Amino acid sequence: MRRWLAPLLLLGSCAQGPDRTEIHLQRFFGDCSAEYGRSLDIGGAEGECGIVTTLLNRFRAENPDIELKINIVAWPGYAQLAAQMAANEPPDLVTMHQGLITDYQTRGLLQPLDGVLAQAGLQPADFTAAGQRGVVKDGRVYGLPWDTVGGLFHVNTRLFEQAGLMEGGRPVLPRSADELLAHARRFKAATGKPYLVQSSVNDPATHTRNLYTYLLAQEAVIFPDARHVRLRTPEAKRVLELFRTLEREGLTTTNQDNPAAIASFLGGEGGVFPTGTWMIGPFDAEAKTPGRPLYGAYAVFPYPRLFGREASFVDGHSWVMPRRERTPEQEAAIARLLRFMAERNFDWSRTGHLPAVQAVVDDPRFRALPHRADIAPLASNGRLLPPYVQRQGAIEGLIGEEVASAVAGTKSVDRALADAERRVNELLASTL
Amino acid sequence: MNRDRMPPLALVLTLVGAAAMVAPLVWTVLLSLKSNAELLQDTGAAFRGPYTLENYGAILKGDMVFRWLLNSLIVSLGTTAGVLALSSLAGFAFARLDFPFRRTLFVFVLLGLAIPEQAVILPQHRLFAWLGLHNSYPGLILPGLVGSFGVFFMTQYFRGLPRDLDEAAALDGASTFQIFARVLLPLTVPAQATLGVFTFLGSWNAYWWPLISATTSDRFTLTVGLASAQANYAQTNGLGYLMAQAVFASLPILIVYVLFQRQIVNAIGGAVK
Repeated sequence: MRRWLAPLLLLGSCAQGPDRTEIHLQRFFGDCSAEYGRSLDIGGAEGECGIVTTLLNRFRAENPDIELKINIVAWPGYAQLAAQMAANEPPDLVTMHQGLITDYQTRGLLQPLDGVLAQAGLQPADFTAAGQRGVVKDGRVYGLPWDTVGGLFHVNTRLFEQAGLMEGGRPVLPRSADELLAHARRFKAATGKPYLVQSSVNDPATHTRNLYTYLLAQEAVIFPDARHVRLRTPEAKRVLELFRTLEREGLTTTNQDNPAAIASFLGGEGGVFPTGTWMIGPFDAEAKTPGRPLYGAYAVFPYPRLFGREASFVDGHSWVMPRRERTPEQEAAIARLLRFMAERNFDWSRTGHLPAVQAVVDDPRFRALPHRADIAPLASNGRLLPPYVQRQGAIEGLIGEEVASAVAGTKSVDRALADAERRVNELLASTL
Repeated sequence: MNRDRMPPLALVLTLVGAAAMVAPLVWTVLLSLKSNAELLQDTGAAFRGPYTLENYGAILKGDMVFRWLLNSLIVSLGTTAGVLALSSLAGFAFARLDFPFRRTLFVFVLLGLAIPEQAVILPQHRLFAWLGLHNSYPGLILPGLVGSFGVFFMTQYFRGLPRDLDEAAALDGASTFQIFARVLLPLTVPAQATLGVFTFLGSWNAYWWPLISATTSDRFTLTVGLASAQANYAQTNGLGYLMAQAVFASLPILIVYVLFQRQIVNAIGGAVK
C-alpha cells in the first residue's frame, strides 16, 4: 500500500508547484463557507466562524508562497486529533482549549513553540497574564494564546433600574454573598422576576465555572496535586449553599437549559444571566434593536467579588503545534501564520472573547468596542486551573453534575461535594 | 369480529404512540424552517409563521456538502454490497457446508454480536493506520463488512430453506457454488432486502468510526461533515440551521424507509416473533 502511495504523493506535491510550502491547519468554530468562503473583509465578518474564516482567507491571499490547507472538524475536535496523533498524521496547527494543553503536553504530543514564536518575533511577555498562564507549562510555551474565555454577569439594566439597583447609570453589583441575596430578594420584590437567569440543565460547564470562580476568589486550593481534588471544604460548601439558597427562594430561574435561559434573558425574564464572553455580541445586537425587551438595557461585567479577592475562572483558545517532523520552511510558514494571527488579535476580540495579546487589551480600539472596557479586568484577574491538572474537560462534567444536584436540592450539599471529590479522584487515579 | 378491524382502545393507543413519535420530527422540521434570530428569542416561534428556507439554502451553499453526500453514498452502498455478498457466502457455508470447526467458528460469529465497536476501536484504528487506509473509502467501508449480524441473519435464513432443493440440484449435476448462486440465493431476496436496508441505514448514520478515520474534510461522510460545519453553541445561536442539518441528513434515510417499508416491517415483525 505504502509503495504506491509514495509516488502518488510525490506527484501530488509536484502539481502544487515547487515554491509553495504546505502546512495543515485544523480548527473548530464551524464552517461558514457559504457566507464567508471567499471574503477577505475581516472587519465585515461577524461571529467566531466568520472572523476566523476571513482571517485565514486573508492570510492565504497575502502569502501566496504558502499552501495553507484547512481542515474544519466537529466541535471540539479532540477525538479526531487523538486519532490523527495515533496514526502519526497530526496537522501542523490546531485550535486547543488552554485547559486541555496539559493532557497533550505531558504525553509529549505537542511541540514547544518557544523557537517558532521567537522566529515570529513574539515572546510570552507580549501576551496577557491569563494568556501566559494558559500556554506556559513547565517553563515552556506550548501554544499561541488567542483569547481568554470566561463567565460574565450579563445584566438587564431596565429591570435593575426598576429594582433600584442602578447608581450613576451603572448597575450596582453585590460585594458579598449576603449582599447578593439581599439584592436578589429586593429585585424579586420590585419586579416579580428572578434576579438570576441560569442555564442549569445539561450545562455542567456553567455549574463548574461558578464553583471554580468562587473557590479561586476565596483562595481555596482546588487541586493540591495532580492526583487529587479538594472539594469537601468550607469554601466549597459556602458557594454551593449560596446557589442552593437562590434556587430555594425562587431568586433564579429553574429547569432551563442554555437555549431556554438565553431566551429568558432576551425576553426580559430576569436580571442577570451569568454566561460566557461569547454572548456579548448577540446580546449587544438585541440591545440595539428597538422594540426588543433588551433594547437600550444591557450591560456586562466580570463576576462580582463575593468572597476574598477578584478572581474568575477562565479558559481560552490557543493554537498549538502537534509534534511531528517538519522542514525548516514549514516551521517558518507556521511562524508567519502565528504572527499574522497575533497581529489580528483585535479582530478576533470582536467575537466577545478577551484578547490574549496585551497590546490589544490596551488598544483604544478594543476599549471602544461595546462593553469591552468593563470586562477587560478579566484578562488580568482570570485564573486557570494549575498546569498539572489533566482531564479538565472530564472533570468539569463530573463536578458540574454534582453541583447541579446540590443546587436543585436532589442531593445535600455535603453529599454532592463528597461525591464530586470521590469521582474526580477516581478519574485522576485511573488517568495518571 | 372482523379480523381486519382494530379494537378502539388499540386504535387510540396506536394513534397516541404514533403522535408521540411523530411530534419530535414535526417539531424538528418546523424549527428548521425558522430564522435563527427568531429562535434565539423564543423557540416556541417554531409553531407560528412566517417560515423560511434560508437554513436549507445555507447548507446547500456550503463548499463541501455535496462531496460529503457523495462520500456517504459511496460508503453506504459499498458497505451494503459487501455485507450482502460476504454474509450470503458465509451464511450459506455455515448453513449448508460441512467443514472442520464449523460450530466453533459459528460460536465466534455469535460472540461478535456481543462485542461493542468501542471495545476494538483502538487496535482497529492502529491497524488501519499501519495499512495507510485512514482517509480513504476502503478505510470507511472495510470495518463495516465484518459485522456478525449479517452472517448470523443469513445463516438462519439459509437454514430455513428446504434441503430438498440442494439435493435436487445436485442430482442435476450442479456444483456447490451453482447450488448457492442459482438455486438458494434467489430464494433469499427478502432476507437480502432486509439486511441491505438495515446495513445501509446503519452505515449512513455511522458517526464514531468515520469521525476518527476520515479526519480530512474531503473524506468526511455527511454525518461528520455536517457536525463539523456547526458553529460553537449552535444549539443556541443557530438552532434553525442545526435542525435543517438534521432534516437534510435524514432525507435519504426517509427515502429508503419509504421505498423499503415492507421489508423493514417484515424484518422487525420477524424479530419480534
